[in-house]
Amino acid sequence: MTPRGRGDLRARVSRGFRDYYAGPYRRRLARSARDEQDLLMMVVLAEELGVPNPAAFYTLELLPAVYGEMHAWHRRAGLERSPFDTVACC
Amino acid sequence: MLLSLAARRRVLVVGGKGGVGKTSVASAVALDQARTGRRVLLVSTDPAHNLAHLWGVPVGDQGARVAPRLEAVEIDPARATASHLAAVRETLRRAVPEHLTREVDRHLELARDAPGMHEAAVLERLGEVIDRGAAEADLVVVDTAPSGHTAHLLGLPEQMGRWTDGLLRRHERTRRLDVARANLGDEEAAAVLGPARAGRFARGARARGRESRGLEIREVLERRRALLTRLRGTLTDPSTTAFVVVLVAEHLPVLESVELVEQLGGTGVPVAGLVVNRRSPAQGDLLTARRAVEDGQLAAIRSALPGVPLVEVPLLAGEVVGVDGVERLADVLQA
Repeated sequence: MTPRGRGDLRARVSRGFRDYYAGPYRRRLARSARDEQDLLMMVVLAEELGVPNPAAFYTLELLPAVYGEMHAWHRRAGLERSPFDTVACC
Repeated sequence: MLLSLAARRRVLVVGGKGGVGKTSVASAVALDQARTGRRVLLVSTDPAHNLAHLWGVPVGDQGARVAPRLEAVEIDPARATASHLAAVRETLRRAVPEHLTREVDRHLELARDAPGMHEAAVLERLGEVIDRGAAEADLVVVDTAPSGHTAHLLGLPEQMGRWTDGLLRRHERTRRLDVARANLGDEEAAAVLGPARAGRFARGARARGRESRGLEIREVLERRRALLTRLRGTLTDPSTTAFVVVLVAEHLPVLESVELVEQLGGTGVPVAGLVVNRRSPAQGDLLTARRAVEDGQLAAIRSALPGVPLVEVPLLAGEVVGVDGVERLADVLQA
């Protein structure tokens, strides 16, 4: 085995261990981050979901920023198409 | 008291129960200050505008000069809402594919009538006008809508400030979760956090999109919070702003004024004075009897609000209409 090949193997083993130990935590953190984003989406689209939103003036200006996440969001919620009559993405 | 108060402030807010003469008093103070050489901006936040009727000239949202050095503006909630929606539409159109722009328009059309929309729009425009006043005038006199609306309007900057703070905190939490993931060697999370942390990881298009959206959300919220904080700072700084409550010495206006002073105190806006308008003279049987009733009401409000300075304005023979009418009231205030 060449020195380079041995280094390669060591790096691969090390990454394997790291993934084995850190993987579950990473997934959990990813899910938490996603939940936070979903919450923001709910706040911004509250009115569309039938929840009166007294801050509509301010949530409206966030709509352009969350619009890009909308598709992934309704797919995650198990909905094939956007559930909103007025805000569609696909 | 009223005029010297106005002379020492940059913003004077006039509130009180409907029909007690807020617009007349606000106009007279504004005119008096303009006559002393200050540049004055007189703003009405009441959707049922009266400035144009009182001055006898068209005013509107664009504003009009009603006397030398005195400009009047009537904030139009529908117009303020429309301009906010137009700005959002402009940004959304850039984010949304071509064939969906009609959906965007439909959504914004419905949002126009969402609860709180007009109030927030009025507040936004008031902030703009006060900013403009700071640059182009020496005094901004705000003629407000009746009590409840105004207490609510002036409480909005704090409520909405808390709301944006809450969202910013959650946004920060999302970012911290991404940091934790990046530290565990998650390449996507590292990419979201930008080049400083991405290191050797390639940054995917999806992650880049999330990064820029995260920044955009933060930017929008922080801009909003800065605006609200500034407006709140102006309204609650007693050396900049004075709030005066106009009333007549009758049972219901007295009760409502006491309540308004308490509500305003709760939102951090201190009341600098009470103006008791249309005091009857002790002349003739009817007016003398009337004055005795008013004296009782005056005693009541004095004991309910002991620390607040009070000024009385006599009942005038003529109506406060047109420049002449406002001038007459301004002369009376000076006496």
